Amino acid sequence: MSRATVLVLAALVAGAAARQTQTSAEFDFLIKGGHVIDPRNRIDAVRDVAVKDGKIAAVAQNLSPARALKAVDASGLYVTPGLVDIHVHVYPGEKRNDYAGGDWSVYPDGFTLRSCVTTVADAGSSGWRTFEDFKRRVIDQSKTRVTAFLNIVGAGMGSGPIEQNLADMEVKPTADMAMKHKGVVVGIKSAHFNGPEWSPYERAVEVGKIANIPVMVDFGGNVKAGRTILDLFTKYFRAGDIYTHMYGGVRGEQDPESKGPSQAMIEGRKRGVIFDVGHGGSSFRWSTAVPLMKAGFVPDSISTDLHTASMNAGMKDMLNVMGKFLAMGMSLEDVIVRSTWNPAKEIKLEELGHLTVGAAGDIAVLRLEKGNFGFVDPVGGRMNSTRRLSCEMTLRDGRVVYDLNGLTAERWDTLGPGARGGDPRWDYTRGRREK
Amino acid sequence: MSTRSRRIRLGLLLLLGVASWQLDAGSWELAAGSSQPTAQPQFDLLIRNGHVIDARNSVDAVRDVAVAGGKIARVADKIDPALARRVVDATGLYVVPGLIDIHAHVFHGTERDAYLSNGESAVAPDPHSFRSGQTTLVDAGGAGWRNFPQFKDQVIDRARTRVLSFINIVGSGMKGGPVEQNLADMDARLTAMRIRQHPGVIVGIKVAHYTGAEWDPVTRAVAAGTDTNVPVMIDFGTHTPPQSLEDLLMKYLRPGDILTHTYAHVAGRIPIVDEQGRVRPFVLAARKRGVIFDVGHGGGSFLFRQAVPAMKQGFAPDVISTDLHTGSMNSGMKDILNTMSKFLNMGMRLQDVIKANTARAAEVIKRTDLGHIGEGAEADIAVLDVQRGTFGFIDVGGGKLAGDQKLECELTVKAGQIVWDLNGRAAPVWTDVPPPAGRK
Repeated sequence: MSRATVLVLAALVAGAAARQTQTSAEFDFLIKGGHVIDPRNRIDAVRDVAVKDGKIAAVAQNLSPARALKAVDASGLYVTPGLVDIHVHVYPGEKRNDYAGGDWSVYPDGFTLRSCVTTVADAGSSGWRTFEDFKRRVIDQSKTRVTAFLNIVGAGMGSGPIEQNLADMEVKPTADMAMKHKGVVVGIKSAHFNGPEWSPYERAVEVGKIANIPVMVDFGGNVKAGRTILDLFTKYFRAGDIYTHMYGGVRGEQDPESKGPSQAMIEGRKRGVIFDVGHGGSSFRWSTAVPLMKAGFVPDSISTDLHTASMNAGMKDMLNVMGKFLAMGMSLEDVIVRSTWNPAKEIKLEELGHLTVGAAGDIAVLRLEKGNFGFVDPVGGRMNSTRRLSCEMTLRDGRVVYDLNGLTAERWDTLGPGARGGDPRWDYTRGRREK
Repeated sequence: MSTRSRRIRLGLLLLLGVASWQLDAGSWELAAGSSQPTAQPQFDLLIRNGHVIDARNSVDAVRDVAVAGGKIARVADKIDPALARRVVDATGLYVVPGLIDIHAHVFHGTERDAYLSNGESAVAPDPHSFRSGQTTLVDAGGAGWRNFPQFKDQVIDRARTRVLSFINIVGSGMKGGPVEQNLADMDARLTAMRIRQHPGVIVGIKVAHYTGAEWDPVTRAVAAGTDTNVPVMIDFGTHTPPQSLEDLLMKYLRPGDILTHTYAHVAGRIPIVDEQGRVRPFVLAARKRGVIFDVGHGGGSFLFRQAVPAMKQGFAPDVISTDLHTGSMNSGMKDILNTMSKFLNMGMRLQDVIKANTARAAEVIKRTDLGHIGEGAEADIAVLDVQRGTFGFIDVGGGKLAGDQKLECELTVKAGQIVWDLNGRAAPVWTDVPPPAGRK
């Protein structure tokens, strides 16, 4: 028998097997030929990635499409862990001028899945008084995996005096709520505090110790109040606590002379403080980011600070923020690790952010576009770039939740009038979250 | 000012594109944009060298577009950039009126099981509109006469997007389930009263999801529409047994009334393309008598199996709307540009695709002040790129159409303010930006 005949026969057998196993296959979904970047597992090469029952089932070369219910071709694309954005505000509602159930927050699914983000951490929109409403209305209703930093303020992130109310920053109820929802409450947030007191940070850290979770700080009006980031990093923070808005440039991040990182920043990093981007509406400036990056002061995690005042401005979405780091010369691999494995570790969800067999089947399929692009910062300056990222496909728990160009779709004229998308074992692009 | 409120203010400043500090430090935009200094720029914004498509004013050529005081100030072959505070180079791009989506669901709220009427199946307008070049979204029947005031307070008055409404003939709005089947809550007189309270904001009446055999929802909507001189939009289907689409189009609807979900093939509605692949003669006749055909893509209402043969026979839609809601936004629909690109790749001319969601959409909702960029019009502008490459488009059945063109939104201007700038075309290079005054 010639080699060709053997191959033809093998293909026929494989084809028959594929048809027969439509009721059950070894894999539910298979992504073939993509360039896998999985920093935790030190993979940076073309690999096939298979999922089964919501988990990563195999990462290997040349997995046969016949072994899967559905296989797609990702040649020329990057296959990475689903992106993890640990600074968003996704607790919207009818209240005015409020992140906690108000119109400064956005619903996650309209931003995340189309940007290849599968996990977000809400950064303190809710506090212990409001968290369960947030959970019922958003966390339990979203296709995105939504976790939360609980605000040290019981009411959550409101406007005006709400966030300045020391009496509503209570350790015990905050810790109780964090413990009750362990794995969903992944940290404690303090933000926008303008007073001279250190008690918000002390209390947040106390809760963090009880619940064994990190604290994330937006350092508010520290300069005017006489609080320094050096004190924050050396006297209050533990290793693993998170300083967000690292390139905001208004709280002592920069050395006044060199414009590079201040001594405080360098000292903080030495002690294990985590530095997070938290771009937002005004917390990322080229004039801060560029000199810090040049001095090697790169972020531990890249995050958006998504809310209604950042979404249509310089921030836009996770991929746009990642694109800014590409524009500043960071390698794609370094951008990916800061948007997957690093943030997952920071919030202690180490089952996420990588493509290890058995891990959650959260996958991003990204395209690195070449062209002439521009990225703006909140003070209105543009940086030009020749690269940007776009999201081709997103899987959450092994199922496709976004498919930009129809990688999963069949030619329309091959389908009958009754066709309604793919097998529900891998197609979850339609409808809202299943109850 | 607190840091947080300063943050918000700065964010809003950028969002608005209001150049308050830009005036303080007026050097960079001269360096960035213009050849000679000028004492008093007369335009706030100049979009240069773009290909303008403005069907209403019969413009289909490269033009400069100048904006002042939130209005279109001048459209001409060449406008001196020195006359403008901010200059955007749109060479190679299309400059069109801000897009109008006549079928969206933006009455979002937190009421349990309230579907598209103060419920969580609807989306907020601003996260979806500007990034897709849309400046006007028309909510398709979320609110009825009873809860329209809540919709107005909660969404319309807070959104930066212009939000208009087809009011549901059901007084309680589109809450799903039995609420939408309650004939006793479909009152033409009260619906008309509510419409008269909000002229130009309530631009039509919606009938949707009724499963009974009666024609009353349609006749009452038409009665209220006749009374108030607004069109009726019909989501027809799910009737058991099916009602006659021919009767709807030829007997019940008036010229100017709208059939949405034109290219759907769903239970309980006769598809417009028959089993032989031909557009049904009564559908063609209905168009001739002035019935409007709208796409209303949604999560279940657009099949290439219907659209491709219809387009081949010249049956293009009047308006290309999205039926945006949480169930459609991440599926085959995605956004209005993706939906418009489907028609571009089915052979519809770019000019016609743009016209459908600008001049034509404005006509259909009788807001002819919108959908064009003639001098004096509200400065709602979209700057679009037609990307070339290999793209795919999915319908609600999971069917794919391969394409080589796709629309992308570069810049959106609402009432003269830049509300979306994908690549920072309106921004100077960052090293030219002086540090903001008064910040430490």
